[in-house]
Amino acid sequence: MLLRKSVVPLNRDSTGRFLPWLVAVMVYLAALALVSAMAMSKIVTRWDHGLSGQITVQLPVSESELSDAEVDARRESVIRLLLQSPGVLSANHMGAEETAALLEPWLGQSSGLSELPLPELIAVEIDQVAPPDTASLTARVEEIVPGATIDDHQRWLGNLLSLARSIEIVAALVVLLVGLSAVIMVVFVTRMGLAVHYQIVELLHLIGAQDGYIAREFQIHSLKLGFFGGLVGVTLAAVTIIGISQLLGRAGTALLPELTLAPIEWAILSLLPFAAALVAMVTARFTVLRTLARIP
Amino acid sequence: MVRFQDVSLRYGAGPEILDRVSLDLAPGSFHFVIGASGAGKSSLLKMMYLAQRPTSGRISLFGRDVSSLSRHDAALLRRRIGVVFQDFRLLDHLSTLDNVALPLKVSGQRSEEIRKDVVELLTWVGLADHLDAKPATLSGGQQQRVAIARAVVSRPSLLLADEPTGNVDNRIAERLLYLFEELNKRGTTIVVATHNEALISRFRYPVIRLVRGEVRLEHAETLIRTSDMPGYEASGSTTSGGASRLRGSPESAG
Ligand SMILES: Nc1ncnc2c1ncn2[C@@H]1O[C@H](COP(=O)(O)OP(=O)(O)OP(=O)(O)O)[C@@H](O)[C@H]1O
Ligand SMILES: [Mg+2]
Repeated sequence: MLLRKSVVPLNRDSTGRFLPWLVAVMVYLAALALVSAMAMSKIVTRWDHGLSGQITVQLPVSESELSDAEVDARRESVIRLLLQSPGVLSANHMGAEETAALLEPWLGQSSGLSELPLPELIAVEIDQVAPPDTASLTARVEEIVPGATIDDHQRWLGNLLSLARSIEIVAALVVLLVGLSAVIMVVFVTRMGLAVHYQIVELLHLIGAQDGYIAREFQIHSLKLGFFGGLVGVTLAAVTIIGISQLLGRAGTALLPELTLAPIEWAILSLLPFAAALVAMVTARFTVLRTLARIP
Repeated sequence: MVRFQDVSLRYGAGPEILDRVSLDLAPGSFHFVIGASGAGKSSLLKMMYLAQRPTSGRISLFGRDVSSLSRHDAALLRRRIGVVFQDFRLLDHLSTLDNVALPLKVSGQRSEEIRKDVVELLTWVGLADHLDAKPATLSGGQQQRVAIARAVVSRPSLLLADEPTGNVDNRIAERLLYLFEELNKRGTTIVVATHNEALISRFRYPVIRLVRGEVRLEHAETLIRTSDMPGYEASGSTTSGGASRLRGSPESAG
């Protein structure tokens, strides 16, 4: 029918043929980067949630032989001290079994565990709004039990946090680089298309086409390529994620992150093809407009 | 309608193609442009359809200085100018119908409204049987007629034709000129660059002759006498500003 087809026959030449596949690869990488960042931040929240509000007082195995009664008395006075301190909500002794259970993921279900000289642990719940001063608390506990320490998990959490932060930064960097490469690619593909179809572009210009009209021919083509590539990339990424999360599920250890995505996270992933399409479209448009500006 | 004031043109560091040319073509006028090959006929027309900026001087079209036009306004102005390019510039992948409809589509008209006009026009130029043909399958003369149809389809106020009869026999050339004449009668200003002396003597319109970068306005009659009598210098038709400057208008020209 009359003039239904595009004026610039971009889909008939090979200039843009490889673009969707490159976009697919890039969206795939971006998706995986995003998912790792999201998984990492989920672990951090889980640990943070579990550990903040808690500190652990650790009483060392005493060097001089103490009778069980003396050990108990020592521990009870520490607990009493803790409970009297401002900011402390509760303090509970963790028995040998509990302590062993904590260590199990690291050491395994070793039968010899109970024979090891394990330190005594007191789990302390603290008021998060007005937490006690750990340093002075340590000093006072040490008056009763020399060598006692208080672990507020900050070091361990801090390490985890900075790991998570680095993974997030790397992920953001990957997404940024991927986006940048996509932009550069689209610029080149569009320039190639402009060169191949220069005669047509010039004619359109001379018969009074506005720059925007000519740009539209290119940007719609680019949008289609970007969207298709993005769709392929995100589909492959989804398959990969589901595969990995099943492998993780089978391994079933608490140490590894879970990789089941929440609906919101799937939604973020499904936005990627649209983002790719948008980037491709806007880039093509600006490339064409900039080139046209050189034609008088 | 078309006004050049001291317009000079050179490509890059090349020689002066046009040297301080001044001319003033009134609305509704009809001019031929002649000159040896390479004299600058196409270059002159290119500046008229805003494909080439002059090196110096002022050009105004439709009473507007073109150097001060925004890109948007320049595009709107181009829509009022129909151009028959020397090399046609048809789009290979589009049918005759689509090629001719292109200017209408570009200016935002809807396909349904376009079709009747386009078919009518193509029938007029004798291409009714080739509506769906691609340019590559048409003869040179047929392609030229497609190019002409595309130039006039949007009823431009100014029609610029660069060798529009180069590939057709005299009978078709005359027929095409009658089309131009018809448009001219309805008010279209027309400039036709041509080598075809037969046409010039048949249609007695004033002639802009390009010689060594300068323009002279001549009557068709004097031109014929010039070619009849070698060495004759037509000085009667040039106006003030030196023998080589042109300040012509149809009134002053004949
Ligand atoms: N884009 C360009 N770049 C450099 N030189 C050019 C360009 N276009 C034309 N010229 C030169 O300008 C001069 C005039 O060219 P133009 O095409 O205007 O001549 P013409 O009168 O139309 O010739 P013809 O009758 O062969 O069509 C020629 O010497 C040509 O080489
Ligand atoms: Mg020429």
